[in-house]
Amino acid sequence: MLEVKNVTVKYKNIVGVRNVSFKADSGEIIGFIGADGAGKSSTMHAIAGVKRFEGEIIFRGQVYHSPKEAEKIKPQLSLMPQGLGLVLYDNLSVKEHFEFFRNIREVKRDIEYEKRLLNMAGLYEFQDRLAGHLSGGMRQKLSLILALLPRPKLLILDEPTTGVDPISRRELWDIVDGFRKKEGIIALISTAYMQEAEKMDKLLLFDEGEVIARGKADELKESIKDYTYEGEIESEDCFSFNNRTYSLKPLNLKKASPLLEGVFFVNALKKGKKNLKIELEEKEAKLSEVVVKAEGLTKKFGSFIADDHVDLELKSGEILGLLGANGAGKTTFMKMLLGLYPIDEGELYLLGKRIKSYEDRLELKSKIGYMSQRFALYEEMSVKENMEYFAKMHDLSPKETKEKIEYFSTLFGFKKYLNDFPKDLPLGINQRFSLSVALLHEPVVLFLDEPTSGVDTIARATFWKFLREIKEKWKISILITTHYMSEAEYCDRVVVLKRGKKIVDDEVKKLHEKFPGLSFEEIFIKYYEGSA
Amino acid sequence: MKLGVVKAYLKKEFIDLWRSKMIVMVYLIPMMVVILFGYGIRMEVTHSRTVIIDRDNTKMSQEIIRAFSTTKYFDTKVLNITDNEALRLIKQNKADLFIIIPHNFEKNLMHSRNAEIAVYIDGSFPLRATTLEGYVQGVFLNQLEKNGVKVPFKINQRNFFNESMRDENGIIPGLIGLTMLIAPAIIAALLIVKEKEAGTIFNFYSSPVSKIEFLIAKLTPPFILYSFNTFILFLIAVYIFKVPFKGSFLLYFLASEIYIVISIGIGLLVSIITSRQVTALVLTVLITVIPGFLYSGILMPISSMTGESYIEAHMFPVMYYNHLLYDAFLIAQGFNSPKNVEYFFILIFYAAALLFIGSLLLKKELK
Ligand SMILES: Nc1ncnc2c1ncn2[C@@H]1O[C@H](COP(=O)(O)OP(=O)(O)OP(=O)(O)O)[C@@H](O)[C@H]1O
Ligand SMILES: [Mg+2]
Repeated sequence: MLEVKNVTVKYKNIVGVRNVSFKADSGEIIGFIGADGAGKSSTMHAIAGVKRFEGEIIFRGQVYHSPKEAEKIKPQLSLMPQGLGLVLYDNLSVKEHFEFFRNIREVKRDIEYEKRLLNMAGLYEFQDRLAGHLSGGMRQKLSLILALLPRPKLLILDEPTTGVDPISRRELWDIVDGFRKKEGIIALISTAYMQEAEKMDKLLLFDEGEVIARGKADELKESIKDYTYEGEIESEDCFSFNNRTYSLKPLNLKKASPLLEGVFFVNALKKGKKNLKIELEEKEAKLSEVVVKAEGLTKKFGSFIADDHVDLELKSGEILGLLGANGAGKTTFMKMLLGLYPIDEGELYLLGKRIKSYEDRLELKSKIGYMSQRFALYEEMSVKENMEYFAKMHDLSPKETKEKIEYFSTLFGFKKYLNDFPKDLPLGINQRFSLSVALLHEPVVLFLDEPTSGVDTIARATFWKFLREIKEKWKISILITTHYMSEAEYCDRVVVLKRGKKIVDDEVKKLHEKFPGLSFEEIFIKYYEGSA
Repeated sequence: MKLGVVKAYLKKEFIDLWRSKMIVMVYLIPMMVVILFGYGIRMEVTHSRTVIIDRDNTKMSQEIIRAFSTTKYFDTKVLNITDNEALRLIKQNKADLFIIIPHNFEKNLMHSRNAEIAVYIDGSFPLRATTLEGYVQGVFLNQLEKNGVKVPFKINQRNFFNESMRDENGIIPGLIGLTMLIAPAIIAALLIVKEKEAGTIFNFYSSPVSKIEFLIAKLTPPFILYSFNTFILFLIAVYIFKVPFKGSFLLYFLASEIYIVISIGIGLLVSIITSRQVTALVLTVLITVIPGFLYSGILMPISSMTGESYIEAHMFPVMYYNHLLYDAFLIAQGFNSPKNVEYFFILIFYAAALLFIGSLLLKKELK
């Protein structure tokens, strides 16, 4: 029903994707997986008719070769582009978005259906809130249900679950799944969550602008089972992540059942890529035992309480995961710690110092690094210029700056993008260099708001390795939010927020002892649904 | 065209203009420009410190000096100094201009020989300098005419119609023309580029919304909003600056509406080639301000332009609108003058052409 023949997408001086061909039948969900910048979005844009391409696409008998010819299929199509709520108007409320999309797509109001969508996204009670005031994940969910609103026959979702919490991710999946069975739609979905990818009917694995493998998740996993071992080790010739090690050479380790993400690692190894060694020099840091101490921090937006008397302690040399569903108040909490939002109630101590005014923060500035969820980069400057700019703000010498840029761009693999503008880059690449910006001035405390959302598996593995290394060698304390429950395993301790209230504050080890045999995701859901 | 789609887009556009406070910009900026510049320019050109060096010492030269001393535009001092000393006065900012009436000035004039006077004006503020130049010419002109002398120098057209020699009369309509060129273009460009920058442009690209629907939705708001501005600016000119309005309001209004379309058309073109708001803003200002100033008649009357600049002036729509604007305010020939009719149609042509080109170039796809 959908037939893509030899599609190539070119940009000014690079090829986005080359010779992609595949077929999809109605009722099928096709998953696009692959590294950031591998060509998934380019393919989606071509099929959605918003980007010029070479080749031919046929959907339900309609043939098109260009965006212009694709006009005729647009009434049957919904595209959700990548990014946190990219298609939303900050000054329009949730309700107004529904009205706008209903009208421009010329769909009749179906109150029952809309109610279901809103409930599913957990936005029913927030219909009057402006999109600009929604949390990152809430924005993402709103974009998704707006894409579903016109009941499209061809649904193209570019990383729809980036930044969406585990519970909502399951609900989202259910709705898309139910939808395709009932209405026989074709859905093309790219994702960085391999659990999701496993559920899709067919997967296309993209790498460097080409589809290098395809098939069901099981078939892909089968293809790497000879290279998968249990446990994690440190070596140049193999990659380790999520309690698995992937190696082309035989290892003296127990074989394990492969995870889908292993496909990326094995592919990288086959291409002769080395696992980057990260070895930092030991640094002595004299820090107080507790670097952040929040007592009863509270934030209100009008009558809505985003954070309700939250206590939190971040100890020196610790990675603390701040978890919770979308809209639970994680970003708001971090912003209070940083002074980006005034604190309505409660007391805050940073590095042993009571924070009352702006002046109190000034001298701490050089000690704190922050990476925001919707990055605060300058769109008018290239990646390199951005980094130079921030380096200057922190009084780094030109020589130091150059070294740092070289170091981080190699470490996180964005060297070839240094002269591009943030806007033109895949989300995952932007995440990486935002993180580098937060690290430039060698802070002792790091606040990271969903640094790995939308970042591909290999980069996430590198990233976590780096975090653990700076924690151990430099004694940096890290407060991090994430919706990857598997990443929570890398934290020393987690704090879980639910609707602005703290419901868990415990060591990861202890939680596992409490619930033997459960994955962290299962533990999280247990707490969240109130059954623990 | 699907009306429901256009309506939905328009509603969103207005809500956004209102909540993002962009609406303040729409009204405040043109008003501020006209009022501030209007006052600013007016204050600069009264009481300019003038040094007259009279080397002729005749009845006529005395008369000229008297003429200069009796207007509020000049604070005259008659000094007996050398050219260099006078120049130094300007450099030290102790004088704004000096005038040298040379030896034998009267005699040369009477014998219809080339009579030259030297005028040195501090050019650090060019606009003021040009205005002052016009004044000086005006005073001489008046004076010589009284004495029945046919003058060989060119007359500033603006002052010609601006008999009372009130500067506002010339400047304010010019400023209206300038703002009406810049401001709607900026808003039109920003409304589109904003969506590109945020990513919301995908709602247009990937939906069945047609190019025409999108354009109507995007260009109508600035058009309507600035239509009100034509009234506001008119009232400011007539009531605050007391500029006479001698001609037809209909002509003023119609010409302004067409001019707004032209400006919006420029904004549309800018929005097609840019994808960031800052770039769009800077580019629009660059494209509109320079011709807007040059060919508005504020700096230099078109009639005194020669060669290339004369042709260039005729290439931009600015001159045509300003001509109609001055006619509406000061001259009042209206549609009786074939030139005005011609200019009116030229404006319509520009508006149609810009919109046409814009809608052709607009693509429903990513770059
Ligand atoms: N300026 C604001 N005005 C009103 N409500 C706001 C504002 N900023 C945030 N909120 C609300 O506060 C709540 C918490 O938002 P926050 O961004 O802290 O969530 P989060 O835990 O970071 O979620 P996510 O996982 O989606 O990023 C949300 O319901 C959000 O809509
Ligand atoms: Mg958040």
